[in-house]
Amino acid sequence: MIEAKDVSVDIAGKPIVSGIDFHARPGEIAAIVGPNGSGKTTFLKALSGELAYTGRVALNGRDLSTMKPVEVAVHRAVLPQATTLSFPFTVREVVKLGLVGGRSGVLPGEDARLPERALARVDLDGFAGRFYQELSGGEQQRVQLARVLSQVWAPVLDGKPRFLFLDEPVSSLDIKHQLIIMNIARDFARRGGGVVAILHDLNLTAMYADRIFVMHRGRLAATGSPRDVLSDDLIEKVFDCRLRVGVLPAGNMPFVLPQSAA
Amino acid sequence: MVDQSIAGPVMASVSEGDRSGRARIVILLLCLGLAAAVFLSLTSGASDASAVNVIGGWLFGTVPDDAAVSARDSLIVYDIRLPRIILGMLVGAALAVSGAVMQGLFRNPLADPGLIGVSAGSSLGAVAVIVLGATILAPVTALLGTLALPLAAFCGGLATTLVLYQVATRRGQTSVATMLLAGIALAALAMALTGILIFMADDRQLRDLTFWQLGSLGGATWAKIASVGPIIVLALAAMPFLARGLNALALGEATAGHLGIPVQRLKYTAIVGVSAAVGASVAVSGGIGFVGIVVPHLLRLLIGPDNRYLLPASALLGASLLLLADAVARTIVAPAELPIGIVTAIAGAPFFLWILLRKRGVVDL
Repeated sequence: MIEAKDVSVDIAGKPIVSGIDFHARPGEIAAIVGPNGSGKTTFLKALSGELAYTGRVALNGRDLSTMKPVEVAVHRAVLPQATTLSFPFTVREVVKLGLVGGRSGVLPGEDARLPERALARVDLDGFAGRFYQELSGGEQQRVQLARVLSQVWAPVLDGKPRFLFLDEPVSSLDIKHQLIIMNIARDFARRGGGVVAILHDLNLTAMYADRIFVMHRGRLAATGSPRDVLSDDLIEKVFDCRLRVGVLPAGNMPFVLPQSAA
Repeated sequence: MVDQSIAGPVMASVSEGDRSGRARIVILLLCLGLAAAVFLSLTSGASDASAVNVIGGWLFGTVPDDAAVSARDSLIVYDIRLPRIILGMLVGAALAVSGAVMQGLFRNPLADPGLIGVSAGSSLGAVAVIVLGATILAPVTALLGTLALPLAAFCGGLATTLVLYQVATRRGQTSVATMLLAGIALAALAMALTGILIFMADDRQLRDLTFWQLGSLGGATWAKIASVGPIIVLALAAMPFLARGLNALALGEATAGHLGIPVQRLKYTAIVGVSAAVGASVAVSGGIGFVGIVVPHLLRLLIGPDNRYLLPASALLGASLLLLADAVARTIVAPAELPIGIVTAIAGAPFFLWILLRKRGVVDL
């Protein structure tokens, strides 16, 4: 369980995130949506302990600010928006870096095989021997996800849920791999872990998120289930776009078509 | 279906993209190479002293026919060549490992203590002690004795590295252009200050300084080894503990932190370790350049950038290469001696240009 109370982040004296209350439960995908510059990534960086914040963040009941990096790394893994790599590592070596913290959660002795398994999960079977820098942007993003997955391979460790923080995990991916990655996230949640994902695609958000946190100018504009949150009014207010939210007859899943722009 | 993972440890040894097996073999070969370089250095030199006889004497108690020649040879091997070899190995290992660690820290294959001003800072510290040791800094030298020189060089290197890191790194990302340019500026400043000191030096100091600055292992004594050896050995011994952290740092400071690495502590340990190793090396051997950039780069091509293997391999290859360079320096103009810094620069500078050409378009300058 991740609980954030009244979290604010200032960067260079300017408030970027103000007074956010947030929670992510095991078994759920919590999606953070909002227009560019609304503070989503900054908030996620505060949650992951990367940026200084005011307020309170508790990670599985412990105050984040009192935890060491190695302790935090046991409870959550972070997929950043973009990762640059400075030396010619092979794909396998990059994925193996996920094991630096040493608590993947697989049985002893299985760590050696984990990079291959993680790569297979993200549909990169057979890429282990390639050089990371030679891959396309979307492939690199999936290699990073494989690294992140191997850090918290078991969604539950020592009886405590672990969390995936994903910052725009599907932004550079084709539709097939968007679905693969979102299914990995959903599977991770169903097996007892928790997922916090920043997403831009409102349809994928509606499809996969259990709870949506809508951010607008550094503040929380709305929270709730996709059906409660995604409304014409909210979209117009937050994204400054007059769009109509539709609902598929089957399953009552909301969708937003750009073609509906008025 | 059988779970593949059961075969994990067995399969891992042949996994694609896993270069650890190759790295181990290379390290083994480098050990043999270093042994060969030591043997070569022991047996070659301006004098025809036979190291084989001397070593045979130590090991098996065999004494050659002519006792006078034997005593002379023993002196040459034990008091001249051996300390020089040990110092060469220490300095070569220190410079190569420092280069590899700095490159990991700055996340860039072009970082080198010599190129970005750390050596210049160390030089300033060392020259200050040499020139001012009898006057203004007399209390310091009296207090620290033979440690004053390496310590001053360490402080100079540390100050330069800290300033450099502050200037070149913004929010965990190091700008290569800023790093190189700031390094040039800092080196220029350190050299200007060194110039003032040289201006103040007397004739005897001047000659010492000139040769020292060009870089040389000449004048290696057991006393010098005793003063800088422990510093270098300590610094080198600390480096392997940084290897995993430096690996993670290749993904950026933020991601290294996410993986559980205490990034701040890692950075400062690396900076202090590098400053100590480079400072001690500069104090005893002056400006020996390019070892720190050539050695790790060659090894990355061979075994990849994993610091757990790169650091020990760099130590071995750095030690071997410096011994070979010293052998060249000692014999090419025998009985005179070329400063070893000239040898490493003549070989290293074109190599550095070659890296730049190869990396152009790949490295974001």
